Amino acid sequence: MKKPQFDISIAKDGSVKIKVSGVSGQECVRLTDMLAQMIGREDSRSLTSEYLGGGGDVRINSTVDAHIREG
Amino acid sequence: MSTVCVLTPIVVGSWPMIANAVAGAAASMGFSVLSSNVATPEGVSDATLHERVVVDVPNSDVVKEAMDGGQEMVIARDGVTLRFGIDERGRCTVCASGKGLSKRRLTEIAEAVSGRVVQQFAYHKLMAELKQRRFTVVQEHVAGDESIQLRVVIDR
Repeated sequence: MKKPQFDISIAKDGSVKIKVSGVSGQECVRLTDMLAQMIGREDSRSLTSEYLGGGGDVRINSTVDAHIREG
Repeated sequence: MSTVCVLTPIVVGSWPMIANAVAGAAASMGFSVLSSNVATPEGVSDATLHERVVVDVPNSDVVKEAMDGGQEMVIARDGVTLRFGIDERGRCTVCASGKGLSKRRLTEIAEAVSGRVVQQFAYHKLMAELKQRRFTVVQEHVAGDESIQLRVVIDR
């Protein structure tokens, strides 16, 4: 099995992109949350087909997600 | 299994942390650090400069407990002077000035350097947090687009 790892890209404008891989679904979410808290505000999150075990990607827009949670 | 997350760094810290990020940004962009923590550095006079603009470092908040007033850092390159400081709201600002440059050009330079300050801040913050959690950085390099690339292994 692939070793758990983060691939982090910090762009020259300061924006940060993080890919967490090699860990199970809930653990993957937990690690992503931890990294997001280290840096600042989360703009978007995508669960890849690898995460879902096949099929297309799912993208969660934090603004839309917030509206859904607020009901 | 994997997740991809896009984040905007929040630059919250003491003045020394911000100044460290400014110094890192200056070094990576070929600016010289003229002075820090002084009101007016020697050899720099705004009266001799034609244009002047002020922009915010995005999402910045300098911890007030750590401020003792008058904290400032000045960097320069090719006749352009950038003065980093803290405004009354606690935000980090950069004032750009230089002879023969339009306000638009000065704004572009100030925003580019501000972005680099955020990049350096995020890098140092991440490295400190990863070290604290005993994660291992196995790869680190600056890519052609000037982004910082890190690969971190989680030993469990």
